[in-house]
Amino acid sequence: MKVVLEHLTKIFPSRDKKEGGEVIAVNDFNLEIPDGKLIGLLGPSGCGKSTTLFMISGLQAPSGGKIYFGEDDVTELSPENRGIGLVFQNYALYPHMTVRQNILFPLQNLKGENKLTKEEMLKRADEAARLVQIGEYMNRKPSELSGGQQQRVAIARALVKMPRVLLLDEPLSNLDARLRLQTREEIRRIQRDTKITTIFVTHDQEEAMSISDFIVVMKLGVIMQTGKPQWVYDDPANLFVAKFLGTPPINVFTGRVEAEKLYIGEECVLDVKGAADQEVFVGIRPEGFILSKEGRMSCAVSGIDVMGRDISVVSSNPASVNTVIRSIISADEMGNISGSTAKFDLKPHKVFLFNKETEERVRFGEQIAAHEKMVAEMKAEGQFYSTHEGPLPREQDDKVREEKPAEEKKGVFAKVKGLFKKKPAQPAPSEEEGAEENTDTEGKKNA
Amino acid sequence: MTKTKHKNNWKAWLYLLPALIILAVFTVWPIINTIRIAFLCRWDNELETVVGYDYQAAMIGKEFVLGFNNFTSVVQNDQFLTCLGNTMLLTVLTVPVSTMLALLIAVALNSIKPLRKIFQTIFFLPYVTNSIAIGMVFAAMFGMIGIMPGREPISIGIINTIIEAFGGTRINWIDQGSSYWANIMVMFIYIVWNALPFKILVLLGGLQGVNKQYYDAAKVDGASRWRTFWRITVPLLSPMIAYVVITGFIGGFKEYSSIVGIFGDDMGPVGKEGALNTMVGFIYEFIDHNQGKASAAALILFAIIFAVTMINLYVSKKKVHY
Amino acid sequence: MTNNSEMFSMMLASSSSDHTVAFCVILALIVALSGVLLFFVVRGKLQKPSVESAKKAPAKSVMKETAAASGSSGANSIKSVETKQKFSKILVSIVIYLFLTVIAVAVLFPFYWMLISSVKSVEEYNATIPTLWPHEFVWSNYITAFTGDLNLGRLFLNTVIVGVVSTILSLVITVLSAYAFARLEFKGKNILFAFMLATMMIPGELFTITNYLTVTSFDWIYLPAANPSVWQKISPFFSLIIPFLVSVFYIYLLRQNFMQIPNELYLAAKVDGTSDLKYLWKVMIPLSAPTLISITILKMMGAWNSYIWPKLVADDDLHRLVTVGLRGASFQIAGTNMVNYPAQMAAVVIVTIPLLLVFMFFRKYIMRGVSRSGIKG
Repeated sequence: MKVVLEHLTKIFPSRDKKEGGEVIAVNDFNLEIPDGKLIGLLGPSGCGKSTTLFMISGLQAPSGGKIYFGEDDVTELSPENRGIGLVFQNYALYPHMTVRQNILFPLQNLKGENKLTKEEMLKRADEAARLVQIGEYMNRKPSELSGGQQQRVAIARALVKMPRVLLLDEPLSNLDARLRLQTREEIRRIQRDTKITTIFVTHDQEEAMSISDFIVVMKLGVIMQTGKPQWVYDDPANLFVAKFLGTPPINVFTGRVEAEKLYIGEECVLDVKGAADQEVFVGIRPEGFILSKEGRMSCAVSGIDVMGRDISVVSSNPASVNTVIRSIISADEMGNISGSTAKFDLKPHKVFLFNKETEERVRFGEQIAAHEKMVAEMKAEGQFYSTHEGPLPREQDDKVREEKPAEEKKGVFAKVKGLFKKKPAQPAPSEEEGAEENTDTEGKKNA
Repeated sequence: MTKTKHKNNWKAWLYLLPALIILAVFTVWPIINTIRIAFLCRWDNELETVVGYDYQAAMIGKEFVLGFNNFTSVVQNDQFLTCLGNTMLLTVLTVPVSTMLALLIAVALNSIKPLRKIFQTIFFLPYVTNSIAIGMVFAAMFGMIGIMPGREPISIGIINTIIEAFGGTRINWIDQGSSYWANIMVMFIYIVWNALPFKILVLLGGLQGVNKQYYDAAKVDGASRWRTFWRITVPLLSPMIAYVVITGFIGGFKEYSSIVGIFGDDMGPVGKEGALNTMVGFIYEFIDHNQGKASAAALILFAIIFAVTMINLYVSKKKVHY
Repeated sequence: MTNNSEMFSMMLASSSSDHTVAFCVILALIVALSGVLLFFVVRGKLQKPSVESAKKAPAKSVMKETAAASGSSGANSIKSVETKQKFSKILVSIVIYLFLTVIAVAVLFPFYWMLISSVKSVEEYNATIPTLWPHEFVWSNYITAFTGDLNLGRLFLNTVIVGVVSTILSLVITVLSAYAFARLEFKGKNILFAFMLATMMIPGELFTITNYLTVTSFDWIYLPAANPSVWQKISPFFSLIIPFLVSVFYIYLLRQNFMQIPNELYLAAKVDGTSDLKYLWKVMIPLSAPTLISITILKMMGAWNSYIWPKLVADDDLHRLVTVGLRGASFQIAGTNMVNYPAQMAAVVIVTIPLLLVFMFFRKYIMRGVSRSGIKG
């Protein structure tokens, strides 16, 4: 099922009533998600990715814009009528039901002609359980399962109804590092097996990069760039995307382009054909350094981490925006460090320039042709590629956002519905909302 | 270190002293003494019967012996069965109804946003009232004025007026000549009215503690409101429900002042005094002249409450999800 | 009060068919409610065919096929589902608000009846058909309530004395005990605490009998005398106050509260050379203020509402408490056997209003305390 988001916008009223104003969690979001793919919505916390997911699920009503599943406009449909499966960040498994009951629950809710017989339900539940490999735990309660197992039960529960779209909210964040690796492969496998269009939300770029067919990088409710993970990594559209993707993170320097030469500090470090003269931020991937005795860029070495095949050189440079520069080089080149200064040459395709004002990418040399080829290839594949257009959102803009009137056209209903959307004051809805009149009942030991 | 500990030791007892003295005199001693006098009785020469422990008699040097006489005479007392029956009937009627109603109200309250605070405040009002005083208001609402045999009453009261406005026939609720079931009905309404606030408060607190994601999940899973209520809300709230049911039963077996509120110390309509007496009322009848019997009745009440609570706990252990 | 409601009430009160109008309104409301409820139930049966169901989800297994099979469905079915959704949402909220309103009316009606009855004339109160709004306001009922055989002033004074003294003493005892249990180390602490908690399980009626004997033997019960001695005047207050000074539950509550205060604060105070008592007074009590306020209010309310024990030990003109007095007073109209109900209701209002005022101001504390304890007073 193709999922199309058109001008999707979510505006939350401000938490502070007196101050007025509101928070734009998702801002004019346009996206076409191809059928049968695994899509990662990626961004730092508070970027609106979870809100987007909840709007797709129907649990939150958009303030504006449309959502299409295939050709159907589902914007106004409630979740149960959308045919989606949703896996919550903390799984939200019903604690009082066994695994089997949890998986059966969505099936038991089917009505009318969809109603299944008991045997059919059990069969479907077993099938879903087998798919996620939890068949042996069917009679346990969620509290008797490990995090990873709970996670699979949640997926099985989401899948058993055979949804058109599967949504996962931070599916791996509650797992430990080892399980995380294992589970993400699992998700990938299940998605390949079922071919269900799957959208998942994460703040972990490595996770998104490793399993997504496509990633959508978001910042402050705006799409910064979309595309295949490797392409986005290799060809970031702006400084934010470059900084957000990659571990260790990209090294950023201030520099300038003069007569098609890139200067960092006083050193001319690279020829940048085709780039106009301007002040720039220079992003250099850690793997973009070549240690060389005649290197054009010199940095003060403060440490060397040996990581087996590779070594990581920690150094500093006055023009560096980060406090340290991390460069990863082959261990064979270690001998090229003389004294406390390392001299580097740069790999041109690992160096990204961004205009200092707009933070938009400035491509040069072969990057221009490579980019065009990539876009053409994408279009030929019928895949989407988009980057943010217009001024990029900045952190400082956050506080003085324009005050658009909230388009709460559903007025009364939206309010009465209260049960499912409480006080949506923060961009990313978390589970602690509501419950303001906290009449705690803990001390009832005198029963 | 040891020095400070030692110092704290006597200090702690000093801090606890007032509490311990009062507890010893008014809590620990009563437990021992009540059990003791429940088993004390003597042969009374003038009455030519066995009578229970009584303070005045003890003061003038009458001797008491151990025996079960107090218990047997309580159980054989005509009033005892009436009291026990009334108590059980009112408890069995009011606890399920008030719990169910409170649950519905709590769920309804939890699902709205505007006006919730106002409704919550209104529903809590009966709690902060004097149950005797409001019982008198209920009596005024249900009561008729100037009721005499063979004559039209002067006023039939507001409740009967409402009933007649809807085409019903008036009922003599609480006045002279009223039927037992009419009396019970009034008590039932008043006790439920009185019991709702606490139950709503506890259940609403419980509901607000339920993770909203379960409801989101149920919504995604396509559960209807009805199913969500029975399959999600009730099980997740079952500890709270068990709590209000158990405290409801305990409170129900101690019912007394609500009946005094409506019927006065006579514990029944004029002409049928004592018809609505309860276990606690039974105990108080003997408290100033036959403490042995009163103690025996109190122990029986305690045993009943204990047994009912154990049954409740047993049932909830099977049904309640923690 | 707004003009509208006045007009409405006038309408209710003025004509002889007034009550019929009012009951028609009520009737209409209830009929509407039941109609909506009925419709809701019916609708529940016809429940929405969902989008998927319109498409008929593939019944057979293999999940691969299913996702692929989900094509596009007609715009019509979506529109109809949308309409139904909206409709059911409105309906549900209407039903919820109606339900809550009906219950709220049922809860408030006795208060309303109490208030309007207290300002009716005896004649109007005794009218064949009760009026929903008094023709004229007879405020003198309140004077009658105060000056009649009830002697409300004395009752108030007694109740306030008992309430204030027992609250203060109880707070002191509770704070000291909770402090000892929370902060100090001594032998047998846990056993003692467990024992105290265990006493909470025993119903109060069991204590009452022996306590009655105890206060009798202490000579704390007033025996009517022509010239009561000072002791006779004062001692019944002892029996009203002392037996209930220690509430194990409040000690427990406060101890829990004290234990949440980080130990570092205590150690820091020790380093500064603060004495234990000063620490208790300057740090722990302010930090536990909400719990202490809850205890205070519930304790005061307890004194105000207590009936059984005061009736037993102090049912005399000098020491009677307000609830006992209220229930015991006959409110008879002089020279007849008629009861002056308006005056009785006025007295009930006077007894109820302080409670409602306290509730209005301390709503949060009361509800918190109650939800924790389940103890009335």
